[in-house]
Amino acid sequence: MATSSTTFSHFLPHSISLSLSKPKLHFKTIQPIRATISSNLSDPLVLQIAETFEDSLSLSSSTTTPSLQKLRDTSSQSILSLSWPTVKDEPFRFTDTSFIKTCEIKPVSSIPIPSSSIPSELNDTQFANLVIVDGHVVSSYKISEFPKGVFVGSVNDIDSEVIKKRVFEFVSDFQDGDLFWSLNGIGAPDFTVVYVPSDCKVEMPLHFTFFSSESGDIGSKVLPVSNPRVLVLVEKGGEIEIIEEYFGADENQCYWVNSAMEVLIGEGGKVTHSYIQRQGPNSAHTKWTFVRQEAASTYKVVEISTGGTLSRHNLHVQQVGPDTVTEFSTFHLCVNDQTQDLHSRLVLDHPGGTSQQLHKCIVAHSSGKVVFDGNVKVNRYAQKTDAGQLTRSLLLEPRASVNLKPNLQIIADDVKCSHGAAISDLEADQLFYFRARGIDSKTARKALVLSFGAEVMNQLPHKSLRLKIEDHVKNLLTPVL
Amino acid sequence: MATSLQFQITSTARFSSFKTAPSNSTSNSRSITIPSIGRLTSSCCINYHRQPLTAKASLSVELPTTSAKDIDGDSSKILLEVKDLTAVIAETKQQILKGVNLVMREGEVHAVMGKNGSGKSTFSKVLVGHPDYEVTGGTVIFKGENLLDMSPEERSLAGLFMSFQSPVEIPGVSNIDFLHMAYNARQQKLGRPELDPLQIYQIISPKLELVKMDSSFLNRNVNEGFSGGERKRNEILQLAVLGAEVAILDEIDSGLDVDALQDVAQAVNGLLTAQNSVLMVTHYQRLLDYIKPKYVHIMEDGRIIKTGDVSIAKLLDKEGYKAIA
Repeated sequence: MATSSTTFSHFLPHSISLSLSKPKLHFKTIQPIRATISSNLSDPLVLQIAETFEDSLSLSSSTTTPSLQKLRDTSSQSILSLSWPTVKDEPFRFTDTSFIKTCEIKPVSSIPIPSSSIPSELNDTQFANLVIVDGHVVSSYKISEFPKGVFVGSVNDIDSEVIKKRVFEFVSDFQDGDLFWSLNGIGAPDFTVVYVPSDCKVEMPLHFTFFSSESGDIGSKVLPVSNPRVLVLVEKGGEIEIIEEYFGADENQCYWVNSAMEVLIGEGGKVTHSYIQRQGPNSAHTKWTFVRQEAASTYKVVEISTGGTLSRHNLHVQQVGPDTVTEFSTFHLCVNDQTQDLHSRLVLDHPGGTSQQLHKCIVAHSSGKVVFDGNVKVNRYAQKTDAGQLTRSLLLEPRASVNLKPNLQIIADDVKCSHGAAISDLEADQLFYFRARGIDSKTARKALVLSFGAEVMNQLPHKSLRLKIEDHVKNLLTPVL
Repeated sequence: MATSLQFQITSTARFSSFKTAPSNSTSNSRSITIPSIGRLTSSCCINYHRQPLTAKASLSVELPTTSAKDIDGDSSKILLEVKDLTAVIAETKQQILKGVNLVMREGEVHAVMGKNGSGKSTFSKVLVGHPDYEVTGGTVIFKGENLLDMSPEERSLAGLFMSFQSPVEIPGVSNIDFLHMAYNARQQKLGRPELDPLQIYQIISPKLELVKMDSSFLNRNVNEGFSGGERKRNEILQLAVLGAEVAILDEIDSGLDVDALQDVAQAVNGLLTAQNSVLMVTHYQRLLDYIKPKYVHIMEDGRIIKTGDVSIAKLLDKEGYKAIA
């Protein structure tokens, strides 16, 4: 902290930047903005983190594509008005981010690790696979089997001018991100692009496996951070299925993954998204998913989130055309002293959209905590919207906590919307029913707890994936049942 | 179907006597039960002796139970013997059962009737160990063992079954998984290998016909979205698959139309053998037209105040509970 204080003093409101010529600190160049919002420029910590991110990247990147440059520029610009979130900020009212704040945040090395040093389990998939370590693609499998015109890989490797142009158009298009979204844009060493051309239906699912190569020992207060980023661009009538899976280190390792994904779905396109977060128990995981849905497009996401001591997912879907279909099915599990947070937001601005949301969570630790803020905004022109939302929580330990904020904001007057929330322990009647049939209470409890998440896990589109995740959840829950 | 039924009889007959009944035996169920009525008249008398007595004289009631057995040398085994059973609601300590006495032997069908709040449903729940109630006195011997010492699951595994009046929904657990778990709990108890899902399906499949249910029913979650009739059928399906020496049917007739009632009754009759017995708890004589009891017990204010044959149920139906009291 002390060592860097001299650096961030550059950004104090009334200081004058002397380093305009240094390209690495390009957000310093945005003087006009700083001047107008100077009252918000009071978080030196944020600027310090941003600067360490830039420093680490400047060591390695020789060439920067225009798209990556655009990402960094817009992110740098937006970060100037952002401060570190506290519980006084509504979006973080129940989510304590001090775990990250109190550590020494250290960007991971920007040099990709060799593919030989990645754990073999990361390649364990029957699907096309892309292993992303610290934000860099380090290995791929079966990618060449995708149909012609599909591109999957680093933004630096795009050779088609058309794709380059489209990516440049959409990258960092989203304006409502928070600090973590912007930090990712500054710290991403590269970003991975998935491009599906018009009317191309990709049948084989694409499996992303994310891994962090560096970690700090628990107690050392060093928190290596990586900023992986993916942009999925599906043109009109295109379809693809994505599995996004985060693996973790063991329980003694601390690290932070600050990940972001942009999904842009053209007219009539379809993206099926499975998001599996199984980080190590002492990690921080902050994640943004931004989805832009054009007319008659479909986006379905199934999330299973079990890892991290602090896990926060911001899922934002923006409708930009009518008759869209959106489905969220999410399951959060806390078996340790951990926080699992989902902030979802669906903004409907056009008529005829349908959406279904199911959020389920289990808190099986006395200091475990689940936070859910599910916002559906049905704006004035979003007539004939059909939106449903349900959240159910299971608290298995005394003092375990859950904070739910299901909220529908409806301005249109011809819509069908519903929401509901329920919090409970296991039902005594259900337990007795099992026992009355000769099933002991331990087995009965287990069956009831495991079945609680099944409703969401059953939505996972592939049996092999479903079985793997069911096993994973079972392994986590078994010791606490 | 016939072959798979054979297979399952051989593999399960030893521990579930209900299962040995061929599913088409409905028509002969009367001929099974009628001869045993004659044989057991004497044990029936015990209860008749008791009826003029009230709880004050309960001590003297117990004596004939054993003596009658000795004198008659009745060979049929006592399955369940309830003596002076008292119980309270666990939460409020309000007394519901005030000294219930009942003896059930192999092959017998009993019916417990009574007004709302007389304690008949509590009686059945207490027998299977429902945590809402606390036993405060008396004994219950099931197949020679102290039932009250057993946990609910031990009671079930020992061969006591209760079909619930309103079975609870269990979302997320499919019917087949539930039956699989319950069946394997029995296998485990008997020291036998657990069955895999395919094997369990072979066992359940013929039972579905018994309760007239489609196999798609197995993939639905336990009782979730079931109609009243489907819930009752499902209870009987569980009984058919798991088997029991004593089956307590708590208002199996409530919420059923005549057709469904006939189906359920037929299924129960199909499960009756000379080795097991049934205790029906009901409000209405109607059920007794389909499942013929040997003894009808009238319950009032936490006690069995009268025991007789099916004629008292008819009297009750005609003239109400006043005629009994």
